[in-house]
Amino acid sequence: MTPPVPEPLHPVARELSEPDGGLAAYPPAARWDDWEEYDPVAWPRKVKRRYSLIPTICFNCEAACGLLAYVDQTTLKIQKFEGNPVHPGSRGRNCAKGPATLNQVQDAERILYPLRRTGARGAGQWQRVTWDEVLDDIAGRIRKALVEGRQKEVMYHLGRPGHELVYLQRVFHAWGIDGHNSHTNVCSASARAGYAFWHGMDRPSPDHANARFILLLSSHLETGHYFNPHAQRIIEAKMRGAKVAVIDSRLSNTASMADYWLSPWPGTEAAILLAMARVLVRERLYDRAFVEKWVNWDEYLREERPDLPVTFDAFHTALEELYDQYTPEFAERESGVAAATIVEVARAIGAAGGALATHIWRNTAAGNLGGWQVARALEWLVVLMGAVSTPGGTAPSAWNKTIPAPPMMPPPGKVWSELLMPKEYPLAFFEMSFLLPHFLREGRGKLAMYFTRVYNPVWTNPDGMSWIEMLTDEAKVERHACLTPVWSETAWFADYVLPMGHASERHDLMSQETHAARWIGFRQPVLRVALEKRGKTFDLTWQAHEAAGLGQVWEEDEFWIELSWRIDPDGALGIRKYFESPYRAGEKLRIEELYRWMFEHSVPGLPEAARAEGLTPLAYMRKYGAFLVEDNVYRTHEQPEANGVVVDGVARRGFPTPSRKLEFFSKTLKDWKWPEQAVPGYIRSHVHWSQLDRARGEMVLLPTFRLPTLIHTRSGNAKWLYEISHSNPLWLHPEDADRLGIGTGDLLKVATAIGFFVDKAWVTESIRPGVVACSHHLGRWRLTETAGGERWSTALVDLTREGASSWRMRQVHGVRPFASDDPDSERIWWEEAGVHQNLTFPVQPDPISGQHCWHQKVTVTRAGADDRYGDIVVDTEKSFEVYRQWLALTRPAPGPGGLRRPLWLPRAFKPDASAYRLD
Amino acid sequence: MRYGFVIDHRRCIGCHACTVACKEENQVPLGAFRTWVKYVEKGAFPHTRRYFSVLRCNHCDNAPCVAICPTVALYRRPDGIVDFDGARCIGCKSCMQGCPYDALYIDPNTNTAAKCHYCAHRLEVGLEPACVIVCPERAIIAGDLDAPASPIARLVAREQVEMRKPEQGTRPKVFYVGADSSALTPSLQAPAPAYLWGQRSEGEVDLVRMAAAVQALEPAGDGALSRPVYDAPHAPRPWGWKVSAYLWTKSISAGALMMAALDRVMQLARGDALFDTAAAMVALIFLALTMGLLVWDLKRPDRFHFVLLKPQWRSWLVRGAFILLAYGVVAVLWLLLPAAHHRLLVVPALVLAAGAAGYSAFLFGQAEGRDFWQSPLLLPHLIVAALIGGAASLVLVGTLTGASDTAVLSMAGFLAVALILHGGLLFAELGVTHANTDVARAARLITRGAYRTRFWGVSVVVGVLLAFVAIVLVPGGMVIGALLALAGLWVYEDVWVRAGQSVPLS
Repeated sequence: MTPPVPEPLHPVARELSEPDGGLAAYPPAARWDDWEEYDPVAWPRKVKRRYSLIPTICFNCEAACGLLAYVDQTTLKIQKFEGNPVHPGSRGRNCAKGPATLNQVQDAERILYPLRRTGARGAGQWQRVTWDEVLDDIAGRIRKALVEGRQKEVMYHLGRPGHELVYLQRVFHAWGIDGHNSHTNVCSASARAGYAFWHGMDRPSPDHANARFILLLSSHLETGHYFNPHAQRIIEAKMRGAKVAVIDSRLSNTASMADYWLSPWPGTEAAILLAMARVLVRERLYDRAFVEKWVNWDEYLREERPDLPVTFDAFHTALEELYDQYTPEFAERESGVAAATIVEVARAIGAAGGALATHIWRNTAAGNLGGWQVARALEWLVVLMGAVSTPGGTAPSAWNKTIPAPPMMPPPGKVWSELLMPKEYPLAFFEMSFLLPHFLREGRGKLAMYFTRVYNPVWTNPDGMSWIEMLTDEAKVERHACLTPVWSETAWFADYVLPMGHASERHDLMSQETHAARWIGFRQPVLRVALEKRGKTFDLTWQAHEAAGLGQVWEEDEFWIELSWRIDPDGALGIRKYFESPYRAGEKLRIEELYRWMFEHSVPGLPEAARAEGLTPLAYMRKYGAFLVEDNVYRTHEQPEANGVVVDGVARRGFPTPSRKLEFFSKTLKDWKWPEQAVPGYIRSHVHWSQLDRARGEMVLLPTFRLPTLIHTRSGNAKWLYEISHSNPLWLHPEDADRLGIGTGDLLKVATAIGFFVDKAWVTESIRPGVVACSHHLGRWRLTETAGGERWSTALVDLTREGASSWRMRQVHGVRPFASDDPDSERIWWEEAGVHQNLTFPVQPDPISGQHCWHQKVTVTRAGADDRYGDIVVDTEKSFEVYRQWLALTRPAPGPGGLRRPLWLPRAFKPDASAYRLD
Repeated sequence: MRYGFVIDHRRCIGCHACTVACKEENQVPLGAFRTWVKYVEKGAFPHTRRYFSVLRCNHCDNAPCVAICPTVALYRRPDGIVDFDGARCIGCKSCMQGCPYDALYIDPNTNTAAKCHYCAHRLEVGLEPACVIVCPERAIIAGDLDAPASPIARLVAREQVEMRKPEQGTRPKVFYVGADSSALTPSLQAPAPAYLWGQRSEGEVDLVRMAAAVQALEPAGDGALSRPVYDAPHAPRPWGWKVSAYLWTKSISAGALMMAALDRVMQLARGDALFDTAAAMVALIFLALTMGLLVWDLKRPDRFHFVLLKPQWRSWLVRGAFILLAYGVVAVLWLLLPAAHHRLLVVPALVLAAGAAGYSAFLFGQAEGRDFWQSPLLLPHLIVAALIGGAASLVLVGTLTGASDTAVLSMAGFLAVALILHGGLLFAELGVTHANTDVARAARLITRGAYRTRFWGVSVVVGVLLAFVAIVLVPGGMVIGALLALAGLWVYEDVWVRAGQSVPLS
């Protein structure tokens, strides 16, 4: 068609020819080695650029989506990251954080060489050192600790696992330590507990794409595990007619896209879910046959209702009685959500049958005392509908992922670290990581070598001032090495800051339960791969980085091999043998040999697929970066298995629980001193509305919501993401704003049990009255102008210790333009960096799951004349008191058999069974 | 062949992946966006909802940015894509005024205009735009609208689609499925000084405060408006004081020779040097200032000659430049030729002076994004402004150079008449019913909003009433009257230029 008005044509436009056929999303894989396209900036001049397209895996959130790096063949710079179209989870598509990887790689602020502190810890004086010095010092300290029997004094504390669990399990078991500490208890411990008590596996894997009803206590259309893969499939289902309900006190983007938004009082979600369960039971909408076959209802009747015959009809009656109090009206009184809505959603769930996909991971489970019962109540709906591992249902995680075995797995150590899993928390999921400063303060031990890795406890954990006190006490933490690509608040308090690679600068093997399938993804150091394609060879990845102009950035896999080798150079400690090549006897393992071995031996179908293309398995993974091991994984529990649980007369795989069935009734909880919690129930939260005096300004603070653009403290180096989101004002309802006499932008003072923070108000209809919310993604800070924090995202602050335990932080200035190699750094147009609310939270460990219960009872008032935006005041003595109060809620080990923890219960890096005995 | 986009807001989750992927692909600097996601909220708890809208260049079939661009830096390709060539751009920012959708920005690396260009460089190798391939939800569909079987054509045919501001007559090719109308229509949105996870830039906050003040005067309740809770930053008001000053100096320049020619026609002060030489000198001096301001306002002043050497003849920037040049030639001839021959120049002088004064009406008319500037009264108003500028400047020059009383008095007479006309046009422009909400808001900014003191105080009271009183009623008040009139005219031009750009485009 001709345009309505004749228009002047640019000379280039006249040369245009119409492309043949349609447009493609990606260059064909056959041409990835050498792909030509036009320089986007020179356009419409046609300047050709040639790229090698090398797949890798995103390193931002945990979804492990595929990326395709475009490495410029002339400059050896990465031009861009696109999605990897052959990745089964992400299918070539990404969220904003995928392309923002380019910012992280090119960040002018990143650390390129290892640093050692020269002054006092935290004083901010650093010098560049060699990797040899670093490795020798750390290896020497670890070797000494191992030789002297101080295995418990070596601890590795990580935020984001790379190569899932097996790689490091191999390292630490080889060392014979119990030293793996994680971020799990500030994240997902309660959800894990809720799921694990049901089916022994600690995560859900919803098959959203095939669901008829999707019930989310999560915000998977914007964040979370596994945001992009799940969001794709949720919307697919919605477009096909599935209904979506979201239970969230705050209107997330996800809730906004849902057919039903239920905004309850925080912590009352289990009451809603149990009311829904009651509807399903009383109206007999549930899948009786499934429940009868796969739930340990008989054990429940025998243990709890000896008055009833052991028949399923009796169980049905028992259920009606057990949940009789959870009427929709009761749930409405508890939660504020209309009874009619609860019934409507319950019936819609009933109509969905086995195609009920649900998810909770953090959200209310991570916020509330007893949050693990919310997860359990949610899974109860899945079980009632027989939607376990069905098409459109919700499977346990482990069946939808695959963890290839490495060569030579060392046996677990016979050590149990009380600093990780103290006897007060025998059922915790898992390590009581965020209590470490309090444990050390109580004299429970010390650390000879402490690693933090992509983990920022000073900032991320509650009560960060106690972390600063711990980290600056060299008697408690003798040596601290921070493995990180960027500065962080925690790195500032390290002895070594060791630059490790980003998404495109390291090897990792990933597998996530993104849908009803099993796949692996291969993270690769793309510059090394690109250089090796051109005939260069390197012993270690950092050498390739140095050759490409990227300083001395290591990859961790090689770091652990090198460190282990130096801990046991002659093999006398029995460690070295696990780090020898499976192909060259007695020689040090090369990283590509590890992956080569796994791809050749541990990934079913991969060697055949590679052979079909004339490639070795390693070459296949280097080329495609992902492999689909099995698609359409359903009803795994029904698979026949010798010594399994007999159902329908056949021994079947069942579930990894003591009964091998789904445990409506948990004998474990009963035996481990929590008989009142043995079945799915409702625990009133520590911030239940009945605890609030609203007239005095008391409110519930929801401090745990993510933004679609950021990822905790890992994205502070992404200018394109911070440009979009850089503040975390306090959400509150107009009713509360009117009561306080404030409007959007006015300063509010939010007081917790241990201090307060000052933030701006965001007055919104998207939050329940009486509740305030503040995203935990903002509020980064640094202590000096030019080092210690990414200037894209941090405010410069003054941090002063005003007494033995009293701390005050005040912002000197917010984000400002700065000079760097990147002209964009002078174009920063925003000032706010947000407010670091987590510093003002005491630790609140759930006595069962061990989850830090994030929600806070706060008093919200108008800020005073002396209060300034971003102010933080904290008293760590008070936080220690609160720790002791919550510790008093526990019912410590030993449990049956004198054990520290039930042997069947999952635990990361399980020690030898002998270590479970509490003697 | 007509490439377009469908944005399917039944699928869009507002994740900003398109925004960032575009920045990555096209190396878009901080502070600028080729595509972005706006969020608005509606309703009261618990019946609240947030709506997303993906906004970008509409690749209009009738693209105002192409029409106004003086150098063919912006052009529509035969396949419907509106592409740009930074190498031809002079940075005049008129495309930013022409576009009703906020799609353009000035790239700080090159100081030239840029926007979404459909990833034309990717299309060339057979690949879809970067925003399309990154989208987790496949909510952005690219393709040929003219191919009936293409997914995009089928969607447009089958689903109810909406466009942004179809009333602008631009024929957009970005179609929205399942979008909320208020998310696409800025006039249906309440002013927002901050966003739920970000600040607004300082310049924007000032504008928002101004807009909020006049929106508060409107009869509609807040409940009718959606509440923007996130948007990307946009450069507020591309044209500033230099453009206001250009209008003012041009009024004086055009008016000066216009007065001389009128004098010759009307035979009022025949033979006075004021009209034979001084007027032409005023015209030339202020013409030079006008040209200087125009070049100075370019982001690439080094390329000012592109207007003459790479002209796009539909652009009134180009036509205006040639009118000004021709006008300059006539003014030079007026100066050089003996007064006796001036009668030969009367017609060209009158025509070109009117053209020099009035062509800006067509230039501002091409600024399709600014509804306030689309007034049919603009042309007469600019002519009247030239009368004021010419008469007032000649009153001053005449007094200074000792011109005859007749000459000065005749100019004072013209000035008095022009001030009456000016006052009448101000009333007609601002006081009557407006074409639409945006026009009404801009007018209200002037009459009742942030500019009301400057407008009523300086433009009306000082620049019209006091000036008129001084000229007509105060003996010897002509000089002060002329000064007041010029001051009032300057303030009015400035307020008019600013107010026209103060209503948000997106």
